[in-house]
Amino acid sequence: MNRPETRLPVEDLNIIVAGQGGDGSLTVINLLATVLQQSGLKVYTERDVLSRIKGGLTSATLRAFKGDRYCIGGHIDLLMAFDPDAIEKRAKQLAAGSIVIYDNSGGDIREGLLDPDVRVYGAPFARQAVKSFRRDLFKNSIGFAVAGRALGLADDFMRATFERRFARSGPQNLKYNLDALALGLALADELGMSAGHGLYEIVPTERHQRLLITGNDAAAFGFLAAGGRFFAGYPITPSTDVMEWLDKYIADFGGVVRQAEDELSAINMALGAALTGVRTMTATSGPGLSLMQEGIGQAGAAEIPLVVIDVQRGGPSTGLPTKPEQSDFDLMIFGGHGEFTRAVLAPGSTEDCFYLTALATELSQRYQMPIYVALDQALGQNSASVEPFDFSRVTVDNRPRYSAGEVAQRDIYKRYAFTENGVSPYTIPGTPDGMWLVTGNEHDEFGHVSAAPGNRKKQMDKRASKLVSMVPDLPRAGRYGDPTAKIGFIGVGLTYGTILEAMEALADHGIATQYFQPKTVWPVLDETLEFIASCDRVYVVEYNSTAQLAKLFVREGADGSKIENVLKYDGAVLQISELVAEVLSHEVAHYEREVNAA
Amino acid sequence: MTTTFTPSRPYWCAGCGDYGVLQALENGLRQLGIAAHEALVVAGIGCSGSLQNNLSCYGYHTLHGRVLPSCTGAKLANPELTVIGVGGDGDGYAIGGGHFMHTLKRNPSITYIVMNNATYGLTKGQPSPTSLNGFENNVEEDLDPVLLGLSMPGSTFLARGYTGQPAQLTRLVVEALRHAEAGKGFAYLEVLSPCVTYNDTYREWRTAVFDVEQDATYDPNDRAAVFARLLQCRAERRLPIGLLYRNEHPALESVALRKDNGPAALVDIDSALLKPRYEKLMQSLMR
Repeated sequence: MNRPETRLPVEDLNIIVAGQGGDGSLTVINLLATVLQQSGLKVYTERDVLSRIKGGLTSATLRAFKGDRYCIGGHIDLLMAFDPDAIEKRAKQLAAGSIVIYDNSGGDIREGLLDPDVRVYGAPFARQAVKSFRRDLFKNSIGFAVAGRALGLADDFMRATFERRFARSGPQNLKYNLDALALGLALADELGMSAGHGLYEIVPTERHQRLLITGNDAAAFGFLAAGGRFFAGYPITPSTDVMEWLDKYIADFGGVVRQAEDELSAINMALGAALTGVRTMTATSGPGLSLMQEGIGQAGAAEIPLVVIDVQRGGPSTGLPTKPEQSDFDLMIFGGHGEFTRAVLAPGSTEDCFYLTALATELSQRYQMPIYVALDQALGQNSASVEPFDFSRVTVDNRPRYSAGEVAQRDIYKRYAFTENGVSPYTIPGTPDGMWLVTGNEHDEFGHVSAAPGNRKKQMDKRASKLVSMVPDLPRAGRYGDPTAKIGFIGVGLTYGTILEAMEALADHGIATQYFQPKTVWPVLDETLEFIASCDRVYVVEYNSTAQLAKLFVREGADGSKIENVLKYDGAVLQISELVAEVLSHEVAHYEREVNAA
Repeated sequence: MTTTFTPSRPYWCAGCGDYGVLQALENGLRQLGIAAHEALVVAGIGCSGSLQNNLSCYGYHTLHGRVLPSCTGAKLANPELTVIGVGGDGDGYAIGGGHFMHTLKRNPSITYIVMNNATYGLTKGQPSPTSLNGFENNVEEDLDPVLLGLSMPGSTFLARGYTGQPAQLTRLVVEALRHAEAGKGFAYLEVLSPCVTYNDTYREWRTAVFDVEQDATYDPNDRAAVFARLLQCRAERRLPIGLLYRNEHPALESVALRKDNGPAALVDIDSALLKPRYEKLMQSLMR
């Protein structure tokens, strides 16, 4: 492999590290992500895990690139496997020229498995780890060294990364990891991968610092930055990271995180807290969202500000806990008994997770209602290089709350007063003469329970009118591609990056497209309907089996004959090539129909 | 002076025990000088779940069974508030039973008054968790929530009153409020509050109650002795009332909240002011 003349700058590098759960694949990917980001590249990482602590074939994927990419690429440049089964599983994706590094402690891979042009390196990581450290725990650090040499990372750079990464875990652990790294470098020498060579030109740089952050963490940060100071939740994959992140940082800003005994408690703790005026959020997934429905309806009926993050996973029931799906839109938009006002925002990129959650936090206060932020497992748990967040874009405003002074200036205070925009100013407990009765029963302006038909209708209409009055404040869609193109895409969450790259591939095929990325899913904004009307065909790409978004648009007035559904609900990631092929086959069929008709 | 809602008159049946609870709570708030605007009364669903409408405090009518999580959230968000939960036996022990156990375990400084009438009055007389075996075809044993409370290591205040003994009831309400106001934790007060329409237990309870405060040998600080005594009462079909158990244990808000932080509900969240601190946090996350 000593071919310095072929060292190339990284344009688009895809690396998979795979093994049994507990092998440390994620750690290796995280280390590589750090190193590559510090080399001035942007990275995107994805994990494919099962819902258990150890065991089962798991993998993590890393893409490092120049420019903008928001998903994993279609090819593999380097596969590092702690388990030969992982190579079997990925064999088809390994093109000529790709590199496989694997742990051969349990034997070599079978002859003929891989394309003869795939370069294969076997080394006994686990055996070396057991021999040197009496346990195989450090085999991933050994493997990292070999992968680093293959890629062309300088030894010093790898060591410096280890020192930073493992400094927190104690001197003994750091020492073992550094020893393992040295062992790995020696193994690399034996394999003919000497220092200073390798495939790529990867040089550390400090000139452009970026965040490497998951959607879940970005959303948590967005909530904090918008003044969010209370979070109650119950651990559930894949949304737990939101609670974990806030638990680390919120107390520094005077906030509180409480883990409840179940989702029923979590949502009601959140509601109780929100009544005191603190900006409040919960986050959940799958079954947790079903359990929270009654509480979210309460927030709607009693007009309690609340942000709910739903990191969607495969359903129904327990479903696919670690796999992405976008099958909760119907539940978010129509869920709960009776009719109440709620809004649903849907990020596409990791940056969106920050800004939209911050906005949701502000809007929940301004309109006193539940606001959903709809993520999915992939957007929530994959991490991406993002530009530093711009905190000046985050609005924090306490309107329409009345202070004690504002209450004192009034002759009368009514918690649920009828107003022009449907929003009644509220007070917080502790405010003299600002007392209220808050209830999910139908109530009059003071909050007294009332079943009087006239009042009932007026209160229903008042709450519903907020969905109209908030429209100017709702986030508008992201727009990409050729604005004159007649073929459109619509998709949110994890489809974002795939659609953007599929558009490039389609352009290469001579098909011009544009992408409308709705950030407000509910209410459906006019801009969405106008976009569909402006196209000849719109591919609505969704991770569900019933076309929930497409049906929503049609229900709200879009021409259904223009919509082509692209539906994915097998738990696997939609490959760029898969989407391109689907669009091409539709377009070819459409073209043939047109020609035949002519 | 700003006018806000006028407390409504109770809609309970004449003779309902809940009138006595309302009176005792009004007395307690007055005796301790707790201002209406400093108290949040959280009520569940059921006949008892309308009590907040009859007071002039901040009142929140929560979902069925969710009095305790609502109270806990409010207290953690603003520990300066007096937070009082009120509800029935169905609300607190059936649909909300899980929260009862976890609130005892957590020990937040809130007062919780359960109006136990051993039936579902509002839905016309179905058996509740505290109904006796045999009541309305009930084949289950009745739950004793005080025994449950005794088994929870975090319990700090377990009391039972009876609306037929109003003076003691007011005393117990005052004790409960004091316990919570002093930040000593969860003040649980069950009140035997008969439903005159669907389970009129005045006659049975008048003779069954056993006031432990009249017994000089009763020591509310001795968990094992209290447990034995309560089991004995149960065997004798007697209902112990009074301050049944008292213990010291750190209150939730004293251990779950960061010491030097003020109430989360009142913290300054001005974005211009905090921007440098958010920037600093972000810098620490950069790679």
